[in-house]
Amino acid sequence: MKKLHARMRWLAWRKPHVARWSQVVLIVLVWFACDQLSRRFHWPVPGSLLAMALLLLGLMAGVMPAAGLRRGADWLLAEMLLFFIPAVMAVWQHLPLLREQGGRILLVILAGTALVMATTAVLVDLMFRWSRRRAH
Amino acid sequence: MRTEWLSLLWLAITLGGYFALKPLYRRHPRWWTSPLLTVPLLLAAAGLLLGMDYPVYIRDTHWLVLMLGPATAAFALPIFRYRRLIQRHWAALLVGVLGGSAVAIGSAWALASWCGLDDAVRRSLLARSITTPLAMLMSADIGGVPELTALFVVITGVAGIALGELLLRVVPLRSALARGALFGVGAHGAGTAKAYDIGAEEGSVASLAMVLAGLLNVLMAPALAVFLR
Repeated sequence: MKKLHARMRWLAWRKPHVARWSQVVLIVLVWFACDQLSRRFHWPVPGSLLAMALLLLGLMAGVMPAAGLRRGADWLLAEMLLFFIPAVMAVWQHLPLLREQGGRILLVILAGTALVMATTAVLVDLMFRWSRRRAH
Repeated sequence: MRTEWLSLLWLAITLGGYFALKPLYRRHPRWWTSPLLTVPLLLAAAGLLLGMDYPVYIRDTHWLVLMLGPATAAFALPIFRYRRLIQRHWAALLVGVLGGSAVAIGSAWALASWCGLDDAVRRSLLARSITTPLAMLMSADIGGVPELTALFVVITGVAGIALGELLLRVVPLRSALARGALFGVGAHGAGTAKAYDIGAEEGSVASLAMVLAGLLNVLMAPALAVFLR
């Protein structure tokens, strides 16, 4: 195990591109296995979260060195906006609905999101200050 | 043109547009330069020429959407990296996520009813604050249209990046914790990407808040479905 970890670190250092793509493939494989399991047995937790929990457990338990995931995970996270774009184009399928109610939908989303963000920020900030005051 | 070639062309335009327009966002990180807005605009312009046919478009590009699964799994790394931060502030995060999610669902329902939107649209709006794969799952559970939800999720993302920027300028938030949680709970993955632009600590808090909010919503969906019947 130690030898394998050392080799992974060496790869991440000497061949960053090879390391990045092999790590992306590794994450995809873990996700695919979890997704299949979750579908097959109709679990309420989706495969992506299962895969995340599994990877996190692996990191925590030291089975997986963080260096062995870093480049791949960072790439996936950095390009995440790309993966969202095709989902946006579903607009084309709902053009009549959006023409009729789009303005109101946008209003609901804007007002709702502003409320959510303000609430979350204020709550967390209050809790943060409160716990700090208690610590002093 | 044959459908297969057209689908491939759409994939090429999507990828090409993304990698061509991303440097613009690098140089001027604003909500209106976000690839989430500029690339769909480019695609819409191309759609006027090639025809706006969603089934043809998604035929080859659905691989990209599938990658959201591994991308969600990749959040394990930032969470691991900032585990100390999370251990120290788990209570604040939990309160923020719980409160934020409650407001997300409550405000969507109340505002949509007030605006007189269709029931299917109203139900599809409830899951809009959480990350796409989970939102589509939750939407199906509570009687929404998953595809519409995916669309609302993305609109929320773009809106959230813009609103978050504005909020940070107006409201003085002292902790990276609050700055990150705001983006994670309010604008899921898109907000998390924005939070990483502000700082690594904000980004990892945002990703954790996003994951927590998503989990909470999905687990609560069956109960919500009974409640909304």
